[in-house]
Amino acid sequence: MDSVLKAKKIVKNFGGVKALRGVDFELLAGEVHALVGENGAGKSTLIKILTGVLQPDSGEIEYFGKNVVLDSPREAHELGIVAVYQEPLVYKHLSVVENIFIGNEIKKRNGDVDWKKERDVTRELLKSLDIDPYFIDEPMGSLSTGLQQLALIAKALNYNAKVIIFDEPTAILTEHETQRLFSIIKKLKEKEVGIIYISHRLEELPQIADRVTIMRDGQVMGTFNMNEINREKMIELMAGRAVIEEIDRKPPKYEEVVLEVENLNKKGLYQDISFKLYKGEILGFSGLVGAGRSEVMQTIFGLIKPDSGKIKINSKEVNIKDPASAMNIGIAYVPEDRGAQGLFRALAISFNITIPIIDQLSKFFGMVDKDKEREISENYLKWFQIKAPSIYTLVNNLSGGNQQKVLLSKWLATSPKILILDEPTRGVDVAVKSQIHNEILRLAESGISIIIVSSELPEIIKLSDRVIVMHEGRITGRFDKKDSITPTNLLNAATGSRMVYSRD
Amino acid sequence: MMKKFLKLMAVNRSFFLFVFLIGMFVVFSFIIPEFSTIYNVLNMTKYGVEIGLLAFAETLIIISGGGGIDLSIGSILSLSAMVIGVLAGRLGVNIVIASILGIITGGLCGVVNGFFVSFLRIPPLIVTLSTMYVYDSLALLIAVDKWGNPMPVSNFPYGYYFIGQQTYFNIPFQVIAIFIPLALMLHFVLSKTTFGRYLVATGNSEVVARFSSVPVRRVKFTVYVIGGFLAGLAALIMTSRIASARPDLGAGLNLQAITIAVLGGTNIMGGEGSILGTLMAIVVITALYNGLQLAGISSIWQVGTLGIILIGSAIANIILSKKFSSVE
Amino acid sequence: MELKKIIKSRELTVGLVMIGLIVFFSLSSERFLTTNNIKNILLQVSSIGVASIGMTMIIITGGIDVSAGSILGIVAVTLGKAATNGFPAWLSIILGILVGLALGSVNASFIALLGIPPIIVTLGMMSLLRSLAYTFLGGRWIASLPGAVRWMGLGKILNVPVPIWLTIILVAYFSYFMRYRPLGRYIYAVGNSLEAARVSGVDTKRILFFVYALAGLMYGIAGAIVVGRAGIVQTNTGNNFELQVIAATVLGGTSILGGKGTIVGSILGSLLVAVLSNGLILLNVPALTEGLIIGVLILGSVAIDVIKNRGEE
Repeated sequence: MDSVLKAKKIVKNFGGVKALRGVDFELLAGEVHALVGENGAGKSTLIKILTGVLQPDSGEIEYFGKNVVLDSPREAHELGIVAVYQEPLVYKHLSVVENIFIGNEIKKRNGDVDWKKERDVTRELLKSLDIDPYFIDEPMGSLSTGLQQLALIAKALNYNAKVIIFDEPTAILTEHETQRLFSIIKKLKEKEVGIIYISHRLEELPQIADRVTIMRDGQVMGTFNMNEINREKMIELMAGRAVIEEIDRKPPKYEEVVLEVENLNKKGLYQDISFKLYKGEILGFSGLVGAGRSEVMQTIFGLIKPDSGKIKINSKEVNIKDPASAMNIGIAYVPEDRGAQGLFRALAISFNITIPIIDQLSKFFGMVDKDKEREISENYLKWFQIKAPSIYTLVNNLSGGNQQKVLLSKWLATSPKILILDEPTRGVDVAVKSQIHNEILRLAESGISIIIVSSELPEIIKLSDRVIVMHEGRITGRFDKKDSITPTNLLNAATGSRMVYSRD
Repeated sequence: MMKKFLKLMAVNRSFFLFVFLIGMFVVFSFIIPEFSTIYNVLNMTKYGVEIGLLAFAETLIIISGGGGIDLSIGSILSLSAMVIGVLAGRLGVNIVIASILGIITGGLCGVVNGFFVSFLRIPPLIVTLSTMYVYDSLALLIAVDKWGNPMPVSNFPYGYYFIGQQTYFNIPFQVIAIFIPLALMLHFVLSKTTFGRYLVATGNSEVVARFSSVPVRRVKFTVYVIGGFLAGLAALIMTSRIASARPDLGAGLNLQAITIAVLGGTNIMGGEGSILGTLMAIVVITALYNGLQLAGISSIWQVGTLGIILIGSAIANIILSKKFSSVE
Repeated sequence: MELKKIIKSRELTVGLVMIGLIVFFSLSSERFLTTNNIKNILLQVSSIGVASIGMTMIIITGGIDVSAGSILGIVAVTLGKAATNGFPAWLSIILGILVGLALGSVNASFIALLGIPPIIVTLGMMSLLRSLAYTFLGGRWIASLPGAVRWMGLGKILNVPVPIWLTIILVAYFSYFMRYRPLGRYIYAVGNSLEAARVSGVDTKRILFFVYALAGLMYGIAGAIVVGRAGIVQTNTGNNFELQVIAATVLGGTSILGGKGTIVGSILGSLLVAVLSNGLILLNVPALTEGLIIGVLILGSVAIDVIKNRGEE
């Protein structure tokens, strides 16, 4: 088979973080090439470079044997390299036909849009994939994600795509939709399209992929024919011999249950979530991105209303209707997305740190006690060694690590009894990371109960006393014994195998 | 030195307006000798009061973000004015009670706006465009006299006029007793209180605010209600100053008020703005109106120059911030 | 599937409400369903309808234009001044319309090229142009316009008034344009997702420029109709016009958040308002309640839409 797309020695750094360290990758015509790896292994960075969203610091890309420079998504698009993302850029009020043809219209001789032909072509495209084209006149926004995906595949075909990249296409699909997608992918292979298939569902790869490339820490760990490798081997390569730092920590006493969640359900997000959190323990929540962990935590924090289930604090059932009531009973939630959920980036450090507790800082007529505000903010500035000229510096002007420290300060300032940390060290450098880890350990030592949601195995393994693993909205693993918390075990559960290692 | 000065102009809208104001004072004083007399300066302040209150209202509403805007603010003024006028002038209700009811009417109008915006989550532009029609219409309806035509009311009790016409040491009563205290209070609320923090937070990002346990809906609702009360108060002052309540009293004021708020540095996208900035814009605009009037330029150019300054300052801002964005 | 779409469409809702009103008014008043009265209603709709073509496109891109009335005012003044200063009627009309186009292009430059928010640009232009119009008029009215200039308002072709012809032709053409010309489709694309449009290779700046400039042209034509019908140019010609146009557009189902709407919908929106106010007058309902009813109508219909769509999500 011919090589369609070839990446050679691709290097990409973000600030100090090495995202790709000389990656080689080759895609053949008519093959389905799976790309797997832990979160942060560099898969998305590689895809972004191949689709022109990012430019590599060094390295070359060959397309049909010729060197190409992909400066923009549009350029990659025109060459025939198309990505079908999970949350695609669509025109939601416009029909499927139009989503396929905008910017690339079929015109009549007088320049009019030829709707009839566009419709016919759309129908043909979908039929060639054995799909009933009944939905082509519906507005895109009214379709299920599965159908939107089909529309985007049709669009890619219309662009005469030679490379189609699927980024976790089945994570949001029903079983029926998944099977449909697989048969479409087989059709695409017949058309000599090269397919890059990113998935966390290792069990589905033998069904669909011809080859698999495994990435870890910005490097390719190996490329294999699918029939030469099994699940265990893949997981071993993904996990690697991760360097887990040893820490000196006494296990908690497991006497006092501070939080208990019973049979929590939310349709489409998570099912049957039950767990206990003890005083002073660090409970890890592991799993792959999109497993529903954040949603469970946001429910406990009152941001999502569950369909059913109970939340108990100190054995008493509570009704947490909004974040304010969660805060009042001592829960703090540090969200994963600093920019969109965590911090007001255009505002000062002190504003950000004190906003959740601002009511407690008022003197008379709701006036903010500036002295207290300064005192609190400066304390955290010093304590966390946040590098900023003053507490009035805008968050925007801080580095990622310092922003993360501000975010943590903001929630520590609420003096929580239960601290939920969602990806607490995302996008921060090594020094800040270990500083944050030490802080987490110290907080647990002082009696605060901590839930840490992290997609980084070393972080979970290093810090957690117990670990719960989620996979596609369900709990698939419970690891109560410290020695059962290993990369391989966690990855196995995260990719769908049920595992329980209880203490007794 | 020059660079620092220009940068301050770019970053700080109040400073920008302050410089503009000084320049204007110098120019006007040269051309029109009576402009800078104490009498004139003090007297002109009263013309800034009503539009100023409306601009304060828009400032708070625009800061709340999410397309926050109030097109009905002038109509609320008209309606409140007619409520006072009809109650006091036609039905013989005690003027104090009539005034209070008029201001409450404004507040209720704000409640309606706030309800649709924050609880039904309908875009503010649509809500207030609709209620603009409704309040205007209500103002006309209650202005109808016994012969069936909407008519102004002018027979207020004599004691009523002190609000808009009395002066102390040449300082108008409404400036010293209402406007300045209110401006201080609103400044205090916006920049010093927890509510002000919540408002700025909501306007900066509703999502982050929700994640920070800020009561987003309550905050949005509240600013529209405050806006309504301010318009009601402006109605009281205006009817007293011109000794008449007319159903079209607020016509055209909504867009002027928005313009002044934006000119004062309120970010139309929300989350940013200050009472001080809006106050500076009010002072600039009032002085400008007065200067133009004394210079014998038709009063219609008041709004015209307002437009020029608005667009001009937007352009100046783009140029200045492009030039100085690299300095940081 | 098609049927479901039609049933759910805003155009149908507005149309049905209008038919209901027409039936009600014709049963209540003999004068309602007469040729003369219908002609009156259509004439009343024409200027707002033509302007709403431009406004609809602007709102579909996610923008707004509050300078429509002021531009219309300047157009009226230009036209009136030219006609009373010896320009031939046709030239005066063309001049007026071109001034509309020019002012629309000024808006367009600030918005599309400099990237200043539409609300700020058009607010500024609104104030500025209102003063300019007043100054040009010198505080006086222009009355006694030569008859030929009033052709755009009073003229008839095949016994149908020119404004009605104009409205029908422009609405037909631009409905076609929005549906069949790639440029028309790009207007929707920009309003749906500026980012996606850019990736699809749409020149978004050009689209925005086009939309605001074209809207200016439409206000120009609307201005010529207004002057033609009224026969005078007053200092307040065009006052509040922008809000009427925005109201008709929103009532017709164009989403203020952009991306969705049709010109036919906006025309139905303006017709609905015209039928309502005409019928109310015939029923001797005080004209003063008109605003009340229009306001409740807009808010009510949008509220129903918002709540309906929220249920689907």
